[in-house]
Amino acid sequence: MTNRVAVVGGGLGGLVAYATLRHVGVEDVTVFGTDSDPAAVWRERAASIRQRFMRSESDGHVAPASFPGLAVRAALRSGSPAPLLRSIADRYNPPVEDFLAHVAEVRERTRWDDALVRARVNRVAAVDGGFDVDGRGVFRHVLIAPGHPGLARLEELAADPRAVHAYEPHEYADDVEVVGAGMAAATEWLNALDAGATVTSVRRREPERRPLNLPRTLFSRRGLAGFHRAARAERIGLLRRYSAPSYPAGRRWDEPLERAAAEGRFRVAAELNGAAQVICATGFRRGFRHDPLLARLVDQHSLKTAEDWIVLAPDSTVPALTDEARTLSLAGVPAQWAFPAADTLAGMKYAAHRFAAKVVACPTR
Amino acid sequence: MSYTLRGRLESRLAAAALTLVVALALAAAERAWWPVELAALMTAVGLLLDAELYHRLLPYQPGWLALPIGLLELTFVLVLARALGIAAPLTPALALFGAGWLVAQILGHAALPRLRLSYAEDGGELGRAGPGLAAAVLVVFAFSGGVAWGQRPPTVHLSSGVHQGPLVIDRPERLVGDTGAVVRGGIVIRSDDVTVRNVAVLGGENGVAVTSADGVLLDGVTITGARLDGIHVRDSSVTIRDCAVDSLGNRWAQGIDISFSMARSPSKVEGCTVVGGREGIVVHTTHAMLLRNRVSRTASYAISLTEMSMGGIASNDVHGARGVAIYCGDNSECEIDDNVVTGTEPGGGRNGYAILVHYNSRATVRGNRLVSSPGGIKALANGQIETRQ
Repeated sequence: MTNRVAVVGGGLGGLVAYATLRHVGVEDVTVFGTDSDPAAVWRERAASIRQRFMRSESDGHVAPASFPGLAVRAALRSGSPAPLLRSIADRYNPPVEDFLAHVAEVRERTRWDDALVRARVNRVAAVDGGFDVDGRGVFRHVLIAPGHPGLARLEELAADPRAVHAYEPHEYADDVEVVGAGMAAATEWLNALDAGATVTSVRRREPERRPLNLPRTLFSRRGLAGFHRAARAERIGLLRRYSAPSYPAGRRWDEPLERAAAEGRFRVAAELNGAAQVICATGFRRGFRHDPLLARLVDQHSLKTAEDWIVLAPDSTVPALTDEARTLSLAGVPAQWAFPAADTLAGMKYAAHRFAAKVVACPTR
Repeated sequence: MSYTLRGRLESRLAAAALTLVVALALAAAERAWWPVELAALMTAVGLLLDAELYHRLLPYQPGWLALPIGLLELTFVLVLARALGIAAPLTPALALFGAGWLVAQILGHAALPRLRLSYAEDGGELGRAGPGLAAAVLVVFAFSGGVAWGQRPPTVHLSSGVHQGPLVIDRPERLVGDTGAVVRGGIVIRSDDVTVRNVAVLGGENGVAVTSADGVLLDGVTITGARLDGIHVRDSSVTIRDCAVDSLGNRWAQGIDISFSMARSPSKVEGCTVVGGREGIVVHTTHAMLLRNRVSRTASYAISLTEMSMGGIASNDVHGARGVAIYCGDNSECEIDDNVVTGTEPGGGRNGYAILVHYNSRATVRGNRLVSSPGGIKALANGQIETRQ
C-alpha cells in the first residue's frame, strides 16, 4: 500500500509538519520518532541553558496557521492587551513555559500520539511508487525532519573534564569560560553571572546583534527571492555568513554585562585561559554528512550537494526525488538550501506548508 | 511582515474588496456615489503608496506601523477628496475609512494567515487567487465608475454674453459659464445635484434661488442688483464657494440667506465677498459653516446665525458693519473662531457689537481679533459665551 504520508522525525519539526497536514485534511499520516514528547530534545536544551523566553516572537509556535500567535493566546488567557501591544512592536518573546504548554496542546489536539511510531529511522530510499522508510512501509510523500546532527564540541577539549556543552545539564563553577558568541553563549554569560561566577567570553569574532537569528526579510519571499536566485557559490557564501553568531540587542542583555565588567567579573578573551569550567556554547555540528540518514540518502541516490548542504528546490523538496506522484521534503536545519532560517519554527513551517500543498495537490494522494 | 510588492498590492485589493462591498451598500442606502468614489480613492491612494513609498522604504513592516500609515493615507484621502470635489460628509467618510483600515488589519493579521497558511512566508501574496481578486475589484470599480459617469448630470455651457432669465433648473445639471456669461433676472434651482459655475447674475427678485434641493454647488457666482436676496436658499443643502454678492444701495437686501434647512445636510459658505445690504450672510434654522468670507458695509448684521441654527463662523473678515458684525441669536449654537472684525459702528439700536450672543443662544469664542468695535463681545437676553484660549 503506497497512498500514505510519512513524517520522519518526532521533534518540533515533525510536529509542525504533522499538525499542518492534519490542518489541511490529510488524515493518513505516520510519524516516526524516538520520543513520544515532540518537545523532549528542545526542552532539555532550553533547560540546560536556563532559557526563560523564546528568541522567536509571537508567530514562533507549532500551530499550522500563524494566527492566533502566542501573543493573542496570552492576551486571551490573561485578559490583558499587553502581550498584543508588545507583539505589534516586535517586543513579545513568549515565556518558554507558554511555548511548551502550547506544544502539549497541539500534540493533544492533533492526536500526535496516535500517529507516532516509536522507531529510529536509519534509511529512506526511493522505490517504485514512493519511498521505503526503513522497511516499515512505502510512503508516497515523505518529509524528513531529523533535527540537528549532534552538538558541536571543541576537539581540544574532548577529554577535558572541565568542559561541558551548554546544551547539556550543568551547574556553574566560580570561574567560567564560555566559548561562543551566539544566543546560547549570551544566555550562559548571564546565567553564570547570576550564579556568582566570574565569566570570560572566549570568542574570535564579535557577535551580531539582531532580534532574530537572521534578518527579518529572509523569513519571507521578499528576501528569499534574491537568495533563491543566487548561484551555487554565492548561496554557499550567504549561508556561511548567515551562520555568524548573533543575539538580540537590548538592555536586558547589555546592562548585566556592563555591570559585571565594571566589577571585574566579565571580560572577553580570544583564547582559553585555564578557568575551572569551560562551557561550550558552540551550537551544533553542521552539514548533512553528520546525519547518517541524510548521508545515506545522498550517497544512494547521488543527490546534488553543495559543500555542507543538500541542494533543494525553493519549496524545500529534493528535486531528483520529487515529481507529480511523490514528494521528498526536508525540514529543519538540513533544509537551509531552501530557507536559510530552516532550523527555526518559522523555517519548519515553511517546509511543512509547502509539503502539505504538494500532498494535497497530488492526484493520487 | 516583509511584503513583496505583489503581496502588498494583493493584500490591499483583498481589503478593498470588502470595503467596496460596504461602500456599495452605503451608496445604495444613501442614493449617492460618494461612498464608491471614496472607496476608489482610498484604494488608489493605498496602491500608489504601496508601489512608490512603502515597498521602497519598508523591507520589513512591524505591526505598529499600521497606525501611522493609516493616518498618512487618511490625510492623502481627505486632501484629494476635497481637491476632486467628492461630496462625502465628513463623519460617514471617516467611518468608511476607519472601517476599511480595520478590515485591512483583520485580514492581514488574522483572516488571510488562516485562509492561506503560507501568507506571511509568501510576503502577502495570495497565490492563484491574487490576480483574480485584483481583476474582480478593478472590474467592480470600473463598472461603478462607468455607471456613475453615465449618471453624471449633463453639462450646459452658457456662452459669453447676456442671457435673459429667470433661468429655471429643474433637473440635475452642471451650468458652466464661459468668460463673460451673464444671466439677467436670476436663476431658480429646484433640483438636486445642480452645479452653477462661473456665472454672473444681474437683477432678479433673488439672484439665485434654491428650493428643496440637495447637493447644490454654486461656485464662482457673481450677483449684482438683486431686489431681495443675492442668494436665497430654502429647505436645501448647498455649498457656496468663491462667490461675490453686491447689494450696495439696497438697504433691505440680504447677501446670502440660507433658511429652514435643518432637516438637510449641512450647508457651507466659503470664500465669498458680500458687500452692502441689510444683512450680509444670514442663516435661519439651518446647520451651516461660514468660512473665510469677507463681509462689509452691511446696515444691520454682517453675519448672522439665528433661529435655532447650529454651526461655525470662522476666519471671516467683517468690516464696517452697522449694529452687529457677528450675531448668534435665538436659541442657536455657534462656534466663533479666528474672525477679524473691524470698524463696527453703532446703529439700528445696536451698540456696534463685534460679537453678540442673544436670547438663549450659546457660543464658544476663540482667537477673534476685534478692532474699533465699541460694543465688543456681548451676551444679552440669557445668551452665554464661553471663551476658549
